[in-house]
Amino acid sequence: MVDVRSPLAHRAAALATINAVEVPFLTQIDVRCGEAEAARLGFPTEPNTVTGDMARGALWLGPDEWLVVAAPGDPSVVADGLEALLMDTRHAVVDVSRNRAVIELHGPGRLAMLASACSLDLDPAGGWVPGVCAQTLLARAQVILQELPDATRVFVRPSFADYLVDRLLASS
Amino acid sequence: MFDGREIRGFAGDTVASALLADGEPGGFVSPMSRRPRGVYSSGVEEPNAFVEVTAPWFEPIRPATMVNLVDGLTVQSRAGVGILPTTAVAPRPARHQHRHVETLVIGGGASGRAAATITGGRVLIVDEQPVVMDPPPNAATLTSTTATGIYDDGYVLCYQRDGGTDVFHHVRAARVVLATGAHERPLAFVDNDRPGVMLASAARTYLERFGVLAGERIVVFSTNHSGHDAAGALAAAGAQVVVVDPATRTGPATERLRAAGIEVRLNARVVATDGDPALTGVTVSAADGQRTAIPADVLAVSGGWNPAIQLARGLGIGLRYDEQKTCFVHDGSGPEWLTVVGRAAGNVPASFPLWVVDEGDDHEKYVELQRDQTVADVAEAVAGGLTNAEHVKRATYIGTTIDQGRTSGVLTAEIVNRLLGWAPGAQGPTNARPPYTPVPFSALAGPDSGPILLDPIRVTPMDAWHDAHGAVYENVGQWKRPRYFPRGDEDMGAAVARETRALRTGVGVLDASTLGKIDVRGPDAGVFLDRMYTNRMSNLRVGSIRYGFMLGLDGMVFDDGVAMRLADDHYVCTTTTGGAAAVMDRFEEWLQTEWTDLRVYCTSVTEQWSVVAVGGPRAREVVAAAGADADLRHDAFPFMTLRDGTVAGVPARICRISFTGELSYELHVSPWHAQHVWDSVMAAGEPFGITPYGTEAMHVLRAEKGYVIVGQETDGTQTPEDLGMAWLVNTGKGDFVGKRSLVRSDMLREDRKQLVGIMTDDPARVLMEGTQLIADATIPDPPAHMLGWVTSSYRSEALGRSIALAVVEAGRGHIGNEIHAVAGNETVPCRVADPVFYDPEGTRRDG
Repeated sequence: MVDVRSPLAHRAAALATINAVEVPFLTQIDVRCGEAEAARLGFPTEPNTVTGDMARGALWLGPDEWLVVAAPGDPSVVADGLEALLMDTRHAVVDVSRNRAVIELHGPGRLAMLASACSLDLDPAGGWVPGVCAQTLLARAQVILQELPDATRVFVRPSFADYLVDRLLASS
Repeated sequence: MFDGREIRGFAGDTVASALLADGEPGGFVSPMSRRPRGVYSSGVEEPNAFVEVTAPWFEPIRPATMVNLVDGLTVQSRAGVGILPTTAVAPRPARHQHRHVETLVIGGGASGRAAATITGGRVLIVDEQPVVMDPPPNAATLTSTTATGIYDDGYVLCYQRDGGTDVFHHVRAARVVLATGAHERPLAFVDNDRPGVMLASAARTYLERFGVLAGERIVVFSTNHSGHDAAGALAAAGAQVVVVDPATRTGPATERLRAAGIEVRLNARVVATDGDPALTGVTVSAADGQRTAIPADVLAVSGGWNPAIQLARGLGIGLRYDEQKTCFVHDGSGPEWLTVVGRAAGNVPASFPLWVVDEGDDHEKYVELQRDQTVADVAEAVAGGLTNAEHVKRATYIGTTIDQGRTSGVLTAEIVNRLLGWAPGAQGPTNARPPYTPVPFSALAGPDSGPILLDPIRVTPMDAWHDAHGAVYENVGQWKRPRYFPRGDEDMGAAVARETRALRTGVGVLDASTLGKIDVRGPDAGVFLDRMYTNRMSNLRVGSIRYGFMLGLDGMVFDDGVAMRLADDHYVCTTTTGGAAAVMDRFEEWLQTEWTDLRVYCTSVTEQWSVVAVGGPRAREVVAAAGADADLRHDAFPFMTLRDGTVAGVPARICRISFTGELSYELHVSPWHAQHVWDSVMAAGEPFGITPYGTEAMHVLRAEKGYVIVGQETDGTQTPEDLGMAWLVNTGKGDFVGKRSLVRSDMLREDRKQLVGIMTDDPARVLMEGTQLIADATIPDPPAHMLGWVTSSYRSEALGRSIALAVVEAGRGHIGNEIHAVAGNETVPCRVADPVFYDPEGTRRDG
């Protein structure tokens, strides 16, 4: 019997107090390639936006970097598929599924809570609406934020995840 | 409770307004001369009435005008100086909030509200008062909120305190409107600091906002129509009012007062006050010098108005002197996104130019109430040769107060101008810098304080196991790594001796997950790494591992680690735990700025992999028993190679790397499986007495082998040659970062400090790390010539004695020679040794 543990399994109760859950074991693939190839793959070329859906989406991280996020499964299946599509172009496809834990925040107060520790404009009136993402600092942890309909995802390095939960609890 | 006495008030009252309502203008004393003082203002400019708050929160000092009454509030008067408690007190809870708006209006008065109404997008009004009247419907408001600083590009910090938790708002605005109003200026005359003397605007504010008539017989000493208007309002509320006006001519304000039957004495000045100590009367001098006494319990003073543009001055805006208004106003300069409106923009009353009343002793005319500084003190500074208001400020401490010179600043500058025979306005007040009002450190820190949240604590997936097994931790960057695992009442020495013994004689296991890891991919990956490392990485065989140094441009060792080649176009490089981010940044910097033609991408995968390092003579048996599917025999799986396979039923990259000199296998596994693999290794190792060990044992083991730690043996001044590792430098392969610096003349000096071992003559003596090394047994008189210093020092269980590493001038040429370590006033005799203390032939590495 293999004991498989997600980074925040032990913080489920704490997360519940701030209307949050861990989304464990997501497939995450870092893709580096040119913009033309990215457009061909359906990746966003508009900075800080997301294409696709919950089953499989692509987050714009930089002019030549995207994060493909897919449902839990064998990441190599997704990675190999991307490799095949990018063959013969300048590219890199790297499995980073374990490199970030994912917290999903719910409830109407979630953006105000994030804004207590993040300097970005997280107000819908300022353009923070479903379909956008950003790399930023949340308190003192580097994160990727992704806005979903009625939820916000926080991607954070697992080693910072406990700290981040404690920090969000302190400002909630 | 105020000074042990119960006071009552209404919602919205401040401590100051409640005291005045109680008929108590005084109750305070000045900090230096201990002169009795009373409430002087109604806002942030208060220089007299300070309190310490002890309940329901603690705050060492705060103006009584800025403390709102709440149930159970307990305050004590403070003489201008706060006293920090000797025991810990809970700070006011505080949090931060970031807000983005198109327009931020600072000040919710009429001008601010008007500016807010005509603007689009998100609008925020902040005001330091608890209420903003009739806020425009398109605007959000924050009350009891002070903008404490305006910074570049519309970044404004606002400190809010109206509930249980202070909020520090970080506002970013496309446009900032400064509607901060103006502050009334006092006048300098004899005994102008007596309780009962206050600003005319304050007397009017207490009447109109708090419903408190500050006195029954009020003299108003006013140079401008706002003071006159205050007199009219006070008289209408039932006070008996006399106005003293230095102007020679009547104006509309005077006419209005006279029409209402209020006495106005023109061309007159207040020259003295009486009281015991609170005010009972004032002495007025008429134009002909004739003096009359007027009974009074309040003397309301208005010497003109200063636009409150301190916040904008931090942005470098200019001021110009306005002769009609006798004050300094914004000259219109400043960033495009800043607009100044209303009284802050200079819409203040014209004023008769009077600052100091000539009659009487200058030693009795107070300029700065909170610092007890008088006109005579300013004159003394000027007589001492100071002509600049900034210098006078620093000589007298005028304006270094809690109110930051709001009442005293312009007055002081004009006194200096006058003493120097300069025209009014020849020089203005001292500069203003954030914060606009004091901000507690607790509010600045917000939640980012205390042992848990001061700085992120990074932990590995096995942290709960380490904690449950008694790990004593060590900080490595932001990581918490187990330093050792004491058993029973073991101290560190005993635990480390046991852990290192296990490694040398049996088997041990280390959580090495914190090592930095960078995935390097692309057809030019080998070329790129050849340029980053001193040795060649492009000819590494797939499946092999090579150790390498990275240098700075200065040729000094920057970081070390191994490169693992996974495919022709694919490497994973490891870095030191603390150097991971810096190495990643350096890789990206060179690729993005210098070598954009290289087809290489780098990705941080530090946390994609957890590492369980199994080492010791029994390591092979344990890894096999833990279910490794690779052929672990040395011939099939040699040192510095890797195998992708499985361990304990989960995928694992098994690497034969050793930082201890013993047979070792690093198991690189998914963090989701890391605890499972750790548990499997512990179970498989149980028959062999497997011992989890920490960073301290690791340090001892590697020091026995003379392996350097970047950052311990190095401090940014060591080359590979200095460390005796010139074999790592391949000068024939082409250019690499730092190569050119290695042939600078300084790098070739023969007396450079070199890495050596140090053995104390007394094997029980363990030197302190950092110990200085000298040639002779007696410490010479300064300046003593220091040959080098100890970089690492431990007791070695394997050698049964102490060992140390050190950097010593031309040290490799002195191996075997005597050297002396300085320990306080004594020296410890030692010998220079080869830095490889244990198994110099490397026989143990392959098991």
